[in-house]
Amino acid sequence: MKRSWRQATALLGGLAATALIIGLPFWWVVTGSIKLPREIIQRQPTMIPHSFTTQHFEKLLQASDFPIYLLNSLVVALFSTAFTVLLALPAAYAFFRMEFPGRNTLYRTILLAYAFPGVVVLIPLYGLFARVGLIDSPVALVIVNVALALPFSIWMMRSFLATIPREIEEAAVVDGAPTTTILVRILMPLIAPGIASVAIFAFISSWTEYLFASVLIVSDAKRTIPVGFAGIIGQYQIDWGLLLAGATAAIVPVVALFALVGRWFVSGLTEGAVK
Amino acid sequence: MAGLSLNSVKKRFGETEVIRGVDLDVKDGEFVVFVGPSGCGKSTLLRMIAGLETTSEGRIEIGGRDVTGEDPARRGIAMVFQTYALYPHMTVATNMGFPLEMAKRPKDEIERKVREAAKILHLEQYLERKPRELSGGQRQRVAIGRAIVRQPGVFLFDEPLSNLDAELRVQMRIEIARLHQDLGTTMVYVTHDQVEAMTLADKIVVLRAGRIEQVGAPLELYENPDNAFVAGFIGSPRMNFVPATVKSAQRDTAVVSAPGAGLPELAVTTRGAPPKVGTEVSLGIRPEHFVAASGATAALAGKVTLVERLGGVAYAHAQLDDGSAITVESRDAHEFSAGMMGRFGPDPRRAYLFDTEGNRI
Repeated sequence: MKRSWRQATALLGGLAATALIIGLPFWWVVTGSIKLPREIIQRQPTMIPHSFTTQHFEKLLQASDFPIYLLNSLVVALFSTAFTVLLALPAAYAFFRMEFPGRNTLYRTILLAYAFPGVVVLIPLYGLFARVGLIDSPVALVIVNVALALPFSIWMMRSFLATIPREIEEAAVVDGAPTTTILVRILMPLIAPGIASVAIFAFISSWTEYLFASVLIVSDAKRTIPVGFAGIIGQYQIDWGLLLAGATAAIVPVVALFALVGRWFVSGLTEGAVK
Repeated sequence: MAGLSLNSVKKRFGETEVIRGVDLDVKDGEFVVFVGPSGCGKSTLLRMIAGLETTSEGRIEIGGRDVTGEDPARRGIAMVFQTYALYPHMTVATNMGFPLEMAKRPKDEIERKVREAAKILHLEQYLERKPRELSGGQRQRVAIGRAIVRQPGVFLFDEPLSNLDAELRVQMRIEIARLHQDLGTTMVYVTHDQVEAMTLADKIVVLRAGRIEQVGAPLELYENPDNAFVAGFIGSPRMNFVPATVKSAQRDTAVVSAPGAGLPELAVTTRGAPPKVGTEVSLGIRPEHFVAASGATAALAGKVTLVERLGGVAYAHAQLDDGSAITVESRDAHEFSAGMMGRFGPDPRRAYLFDTEGNRI
């Protein structure tokens, strides 16, 4: 499609504005983390840093509990992501392809569960975890994160499965492939973008989860980044430099994940299969 | 290699019966084509043979073995889909070897069989390519190759050529015919293209609304249709039907007239005893079975509305005086022109009579 210069300008303008809105907080956080404390809090904010220091990062890594929080967050997020993907894939396949009584009702109910705000189930869940001795355990966080991410992940995965022509599965059935082989050897490679999307969604959901992490984890050594950070904000003083350096460091794993799975986001994986 | 037999096979989707009791015997090595209009159940029947659809009632036997409740992979069949259904992330060689891999055959055997099939289908130089790097015809050959390596008792083809362009379709049709000659395996082929049906089949099965209308060799169906549906479905352009009345009858001949269409009388040979005088019938004449009006004993009269000239042959579409529309084939491209009043002489030896229910008289 050929665009007129007006359309092209409007499109570019819109894209630039969107990029600015999304990018500005990141710029502010990242540049702030290398500014001297007095520049961070000066009355006239500076968009381009006038000073440069690594003191906040040094403090973050040497004098704070950030490395522990980072490790805790990574462990919880990676396990949550892995379990979400492992459960969402067969569940989505069952909802998509298998016929069993109550399939549609169950599918709708699962989506409905997603509509509940976390705070509603916080107290019952606390009681439940307390009874099984999982308070102050990262296992509790993984269970909660997986439960919260699953409904949307199943829905998303099912939509990706729906893009695979049925004949491909049928050909595999005729070729003698059992269901697990069809899922692993045929469907999984074809819905790699879907798996990547679900993985990113589950990882970020877990990475940024605050409510349950703040209640279910008690000891400081087991806190995740969002909760650990909250401790930096004191009643009388906020160490902005440390906070911004921590925020910058917290973005790194997410960016790394995008870089890692981004290559799966390629369209046309089923090209040549049918037609 | 194996024969195939369907005994009172039925298929219901909820309350709707889509296959209403089909009986069919396919001999070992026969090429059978299922034809019929959209929704007649031809693909469903094929999928039931494959085991991709369950059979609600009746029995399916392949090679004398009851396979009605059997898994598709254990039926001794291989299927080629309309949409090829290749595994897009696998190479041609892996695609073709996949069924053998699933059967846990040794690697060297898989390699050998894939190479043999690739040789038959001229795919040797494409074995390491992915399906997206192939043309439509090559992709369909890979799909056929995947079927060949299994050495099935019965090959099932579900409209395999309908995604290809006209030229490739002709080429692939010849290749499939050659493949059948070389392999000698039983083949069941679904199509709505009657040229494919006529050229490929040893036996054509005409289906309508989940029932078999007629089974027979292509020319048998063309020359001796059981009813107006088969007569209309086999042959292109389709047979013309003109309402007529029996004027007189003797032994195996009925003299019919269609005064409204300008036909005073025409003697048509009947299958059995001719109907009584005064019976309303339908006179069936194929477009290619008209003779020059000057030499005809009787002729239909009407106005030519459109002429399609294909080079060697022309089709005149005409509106008869009684309102019925007919198509007449002419070897002379200039015999008819749009707007002219024409006289069309049916060849009485190749005319058919059908009763009001469409059954051949």
